[in-house]
Amino acid sequence: MSIVLVLLALAIGCYLVAVFEGWAVHGRFSLMRPAISALALLGREQILPRTPDRLFFETGPILLLVAGLLSVAVIPLAPGLIITDLAIGALFLNAALAYVLVALIMAGWGPNGAYAMVGGWRFLGQFIAYAMLIVMPITAVAMRAESLSTTQIVLSQAALWNVVYQPIGFVLFVIAALGVAWLPPIDLPTGGGDLAGGVEAEYTGARLAVWRLARLVIVVALSGATVTFYFGGWLGPWLPGWAWTALKTVAVAAAMLTLGRHLPRLREERYLAVSWKLGISLALANIFLVGVIALLVPI
Amino acid sequence: MTVLSGAREGAITGLRGLIARAMARDLCAFVVPGADVARARGLDVGAAGLHRTDTPRHANVLLVAGPVTPALVEAASVVWAQMPRPRAILALEAGDIAPLPAPDAAGVLAQDGLVAGLADLRRAFVGGAFAEQVADFEAPALTTQIEYTCPMHPEVISDEPGKCPKCGMVLVEREVSGAAQKGHEGHEGHEGHEGHEGHEGHEGHEGHEGHEGHEGHEGHEGHEGHEGHEGHEGHEKSPERPAQAENTGHSAHAVHAPEQPATYTCPMHPEVTSDRPGSCPKCGMDLVPRGQAGEHGDGGHSGHGGHGSHAGHGSHAGHGGHGDHGGHGGHEEHGGHGSAPDIPGIEPHFMSMVGLTEGKPVSPDGLVMEWIDAPFGPFFPGLPGGLGLTLTLDGDSVVRAAVSSHASGPPAPDLAAKDLPDRLAALSPLAPGALRELACRALESVSGIAPGPDAATARAAAVERERVASHLNWLADLARQTGLSWLERRAAALHQGLRAAGTDEIARRAPAIRALAGRVRRTPLLRDKLAGIGRIGTSGAEGIVGPVARATGLATDARADDPAYAELGFATLTQTSGDAWARLSQRLAEIGQSLDLIARAGAIALPEAPAPLPRDGHGMASLETPRGKATLHLILKDGSAGTVHLTTPFAALAALVEPMTRQMELAEALTAIASLDLDPWGVDA
Repeated sequence: MSIVLVLLALAIGCYLVAVFEGWAVHGRFSLMRPAISALALLGREQILPRTPDRLFFETGPILLLVAGLLSVAVIPLAPGLIITDLAIGALFLNAALAYVLVALIMAGWGPNGAYAMVGGWRFLGQFIAYAMLIVMPITAVAMRAESLSTTQIVLSQAALWNVVYQPIGFVLFVIAALGVAWLPPIDLPTGGGDLAGGVEAEYTGARLAVWRLARLVIVVALSGATVTFYFGGWLGPWLPGWAWTALKTVAVAAAMLTLGRHLPRLREERYLAVSWKLGISLALANIFLVGVIALLVPI
Repeated sequence: MTVLSGAREGAITGLRGLIARAMARDLCAFVVPGADVARARGLDVGAAGLHRTDTPRHANVLLVAGPVTPALVEAASVVWAQMPRPRAILALEAGDIAPLPAPDAAGVLAQDGLVAGLADLRRAFVGGAFAEQVADFEAPALTTQIEYTCPMHPEVISDEPGKCPKCGMVLVEREVSGAAQKGHEGHEGHEGHEGHEGHEGHEGHEGHEGHEGHEGHEGHEGHEGHEGHEGHEGHEKSPERPAQAENTGHSAHAVHAPEQPATYTCPMHPEVTSDRPGSCPKCGMDLVPRGQAGEHGDGGHSGHGGHGSHAGHGSHAGHGGHGDHGGHGGHEEHGGHGSAPDIPGIEPHFMSMVGLTEGKPVSPDGLVMEWIDAPFGPFFPGLPGGLGLTLTLDGDSVVRAAVSSHASGPPAPDLAAKDLPDRLAALSPLAPGALRELACRALESVSGIAPGPDAATARAAAVERERVASHLNWLADLARQTGLSWLERRAAALHQGLRAAGTDEIARRAPAIRALAGRVRRTPLLRDKLAGIGRIGTSGAEGIVGPVARATGLATDARADDPAYAELGFATLTQTSGDAWARLSQRLAEIGQSLDLIARAGAIALPEAPAPLPRDGHGMASLETPRGKATLHLILKDGSAGTVHLTTPFAALAALVEPMTRQMELAEALTAIASLDLDPWGVDA
């Protein structure tokens, strides 16, 4: 039952995220647009590029979707309303998101096209930048909760949300999350004006529809993870728990989709340099600070 | 009900009808020849409710915005072939667009025409997106044919099978595209099958698996060693592709190491040598004997010419793997090649990878990867429309850049002198006003009639208005390339409002334009993104003109010598750092300056050809266009323009691309190229 409910919530979440993305990209707010676009996309021809690596080409979008769904599985909508409450939920989330990289490289390699291939390898570089920064802030979150279970992590924030408790970790996690979902300004693998679609460039029709759906699932999963780790999940007054989670998730997703569009696309080497030289130092400092605070102040 | 020219095959069912209606409301256009040209011709694609895509694969409308040259139509036919069905063409005063099918909707070249054309297109989609029978489309540029070539001598090409006249080997077949054969630019990606993307298009229907037959050559198989030439199979056409042997790469380094008495060496560290087996002190790998190296070493590599047995060449393949022949020092022994014992009928270096890779460009970083020629034009989003650009990529760094323009050809010889301004203005959609002014000035210099001071300042104001519009248009393209969608929309909207505005209108819009310039300067991280990219020193700026030269600190501006501008109080602005950020700052500053000049001029007037015109004479004029100084030489004969010679800033700026982008990361190279604001139109007129 809870699986069905979570998937339903996920579908609604994806739709809303698509509405926000259309708003951010085209400057027009339309509740109907994503449905129309999806239908139009399904009616289009699916073109197979010349001499593709067929296995990689076909697997890329599906693997991306699977990675997104797996990471949603450990995000609690409300107490008990979770697909699987793993004891190592936070770690599982990382493991699932690791397949995003594999899917993008497959999609980049598969079509045998220059733009796609450069896009795929660019994402490999991007992965090196964000990989540590997605794990290290979660470490600090788990330290406070004394558990890797996502449900426990939410409960640990009853007195104070982690966004206040460990703001450095929050900022680092969001920047890394933008990298995982290749959202602007870190959309290097697709890079609109500079790579002509990149890894998406050769997908058409239903394959492209699957790809875009998978991307939305990943955005929702990462927003849900941000809410779980930093915004106290379902915790909140007046409304039922699931409503709080849903509201917060959509708000975080909307912020992630829109804010980055006011920045120019980052230079890859700059993203790598900042992530490693500054980001990892800050992440270590964050772990240390959270450790000290957790020892001294019982909240 | 009419059927779309690019309808998708399928029976018309209720579901398909629904899908067709959804498509009609979700039109995505690929704009030919480019968004900048469309904007300059008065079209605001986004405002018309049309979503502009970056790749033809995601589009269902091909928007041809105004007249295009035959070369561009041919490139557009490749784009059309890549678009998934159902697809349609909207042509706005595009003229003859064959070999593209007849447009599904047409209109006048204006925003009204675009909106009306889109309405027609929506109706056409609802009724004709699917059809029982559909016509095939084959882009002529994509048709391929078989030719035969020698695996060792790529310059030997024959229409029929046979033997190589140089070495006697059996020729192997390969496929070439029609476009490649004609040497048409923009399609370089086609030749050979690494081809890839962009233009590799094709009606690659789901069912067309006939192509799978080519799979054999796409990996690296076929490169290991040279025994067995099947490996070559002609599929990797590239005479200038040094990539062929990378797989055998490092393991054969030893073959090439300098001759020393040592007999064991590390496969990864050729400088490590030992006279007994063991492991490498640097990486721990087992040392390998380099006996083979010794054998070949003495005779120099000249001996290769005489090898009868291909078996021995496994080791030679390693030479290719070396990549940079200079990098390891010690290749002096190659000098021995000169004294190769010539075998009658067989060239020296026959079968030698040294011979094959000698003189070929190699990566300066020493890594050997397969190089790819990828087209980034003529319709690349974020670069000027019509700009032909092919980048040779080594991984994601640029090793070579080739820029070309799509010239519109010289004016017809019997062109009446009074029609010259119109003809020149039609040459470049990006700077029509400046070219018209230039033509009028040249005609005035022939006839000796000078405009009055008021007329001169009003005409200068018209040029300045075009400068502001041109810089805003460029800004929209830069925004597209860097992913700043708000800036793209805003700059495009301001550009539309300004391009034909009068002085009052401009005065009203000026605060918004200045505010935009300020907001661009304050955009977080933009400076970080552009600083240091494509830097040109003052010494490297010789010969270049316009904002690019002024951004290096060089005060070259044709306006400084113009009395009309002296009256308006013009002073040349410059920047110092000479990089992409300086070019952006320079253009933003010029936008403000031009708005001031227009305000001081107080009136805007378009130039008219002077009358009466002398029947014969010689004239010359120059003008600071938005991109730099352009010069026009004109000789009139019998009342018509006998000789017209136009020099635009394009050639000087395009020459910067190659040295500027060398070894740059792809995204940075594209930023650098965009920052030059190349106008590929109206060259060589």
